[in-house]
Amino acid sequence: MLLVAALCVILSALKTDDATPEPYLLQYPANFGGRINVPKDNPTTKEGVQLGRMLFYEKKLSADNSLSCASCHEQKLAFTDGKALSIGVDKSLTSRNSMALVNLLWVRNFFWDGRSASLEDQAVFPMTNPHEMGQSLDETVKKLQQSPMYVVLFKKAFGDANIDADKIRKALSQFERTLISADSPYDRYLAGTYQPTAQELRGMNLFMEPPAPERGIRGANCGHCHGGPKTFKELFHNNGLDTEAKDPGREAISNEAEDRGRFRVPTLRNIALTAPYMHDGRFKTLEEVLDHYNEHIQESATLSSFLRGTSNEKGGKTLLLNKTEKTDIMAFLHMLTDSTFINNPAFSDPNKSLKQ
Amino acid sequence: MKNHKNSYLLMLAFLLCSSLFSFAQNAPSVSISGEVLTPLVLKKEDLAAYKQLTHKTKDRDGKEHEYKGVALVEVLEKAGATLGGKLRGENLAKAVIIRAGDGYEVVYSLPELDPEFSNNVVLLVAEKDGGPLPPGEGAFRLIAPQDKKQARWIREVRSIKVVFVKD
Repeated sequence: MLLVAALCVILSALKTDDATPEPYLLQYPANFGGRINVPKDNPTTKEGVQLGRMLFYEKKLSADNSLSCASCHEQKLAFTDGKALSIGVDKSLTSRNSMALVNLLWVRNFFWDGRSASLEDQAVFPMTNPHEMGQSLDETVKKLQQSPMYVVLFKKAFGDANIDADKIRKALSQFERTLISADSPYDRYLAGTYQPTAQELRGMNLFMEPPAPERGIRGANCGHCHGGPKTFKELFHNNGLDTEAKDPGREAISNEAEDRGRFRVPTLRNIALTAPYMHDGRFKTLEEVLDHYNEHIQESATLSSFLRGTSNEKGGKTLLLNKTEKTDIMAFLHMLTDSTFINNPAFSDPNKSLKQ
Repeated sequence: MKNHKNSYLLMLAFLLCSSLFSFAQNAPSVSISGEVLTPLVLKKEDLAAYKQLTHKTKDRDGKEHEYKGVALVEVLEKAGATLGGKLRGENLAKAVIIRAGDGYEVVYSLPELDPEFSNNVVLLVAEKDGGPLPPGEGAFRLIAPQDKKQARWIREVRSIKVVFVKD
């Protein structure tokens, strides 16, 4: 069956062998903003995306042919793996939690510590890290060169059948740029096509509002860092997990003391699907996350100033929301689940869809 | 031959020192780059070379605080940004992007910082109430007294970049 599928790909590819790759239209709502990142030397094309998708699900990219990118980034879990830390080819654990791959088109600093400025640069780390896929790009190139299907797919995508590391990175990045989530109930609410329940609306207001007890305004101020239509802002914060950060986070990259224990503020899109939470996956449920922000913020020199002394009670040190308010916020967080995204056939394992 | 030997020793010492320094924490600094003639990296003590300005403001808690620093435009002038007589033609489409350590960014247009265009003075400050800025405000911060909303009073300023606005 696989052979037939591969043959189909080769035959369809041969038909347009000499054609220039067709541009892929990256579509997104206007309120997401146009500050997108597509490098000039890697325009998104239909053929590039097709190849990137094949590579994303390709286990030959790992040392023992057991892992693909999708092993730690499963579509049904909004491209996470449901584990606190992931298991690499050497059976050891990764140092941090697998991040959701969503709306990467707008991201400018990849990884929890923001060490990579582009998807093309990012892709190398998991592929070559001995505790992740553990294979040099040279070895990957050798493996792929033995596959007639990949020779054809690379030629279609880049006009050149010569497989190299640069093209692998570029194709993977092209596919990842297409992972746009813009059809959650919250998106539909913003577009005027979904009427939230009373509880969802209460949760939304609490999520967005900073508390102001002196004016009788209650809020959770989540939107300060997770606001906007994408529920993502390009920020790094120490969110009070530990008094002494075990993982230095961004400090290891910037060498700035102010960055101790700071991590990228992740998108909250599909957050109900991406447990466990935080850079080390310490919280198993969203309820635990809310409890942390509500009651357990740990003081340290680099604690985000937006989490320090933000409270619904005068003189309070933490948010101090009540039980009903927490449930309301949970209802809003579930509005961020985009089932169109997690079921989009264009993002699924091409080998499986070919088999069906 | 001896000279060579000495220079090898010197180089070795230099390499050793530089590798040691690379493990050390950076002293807080702010960079001025982009469309400037002389990119600068300023440390707190470098601000002493500029005219000192102060601004008093009330905090959220209602207490008055005094910030001390320099006019941002003076720092940009020192770096050779197109200000004054040179702020004409295409240079009017320049903006200044200020980036903070936590990734926060704000923009001022170059003309709104120039005293020939505006009486508003934006300050680059490094002192509060006679001491360094407290944790959370960073080593450097901007104070824009004329802004009604304080969202551009950006904390933890790490870089100031002059750019052309390209549509």
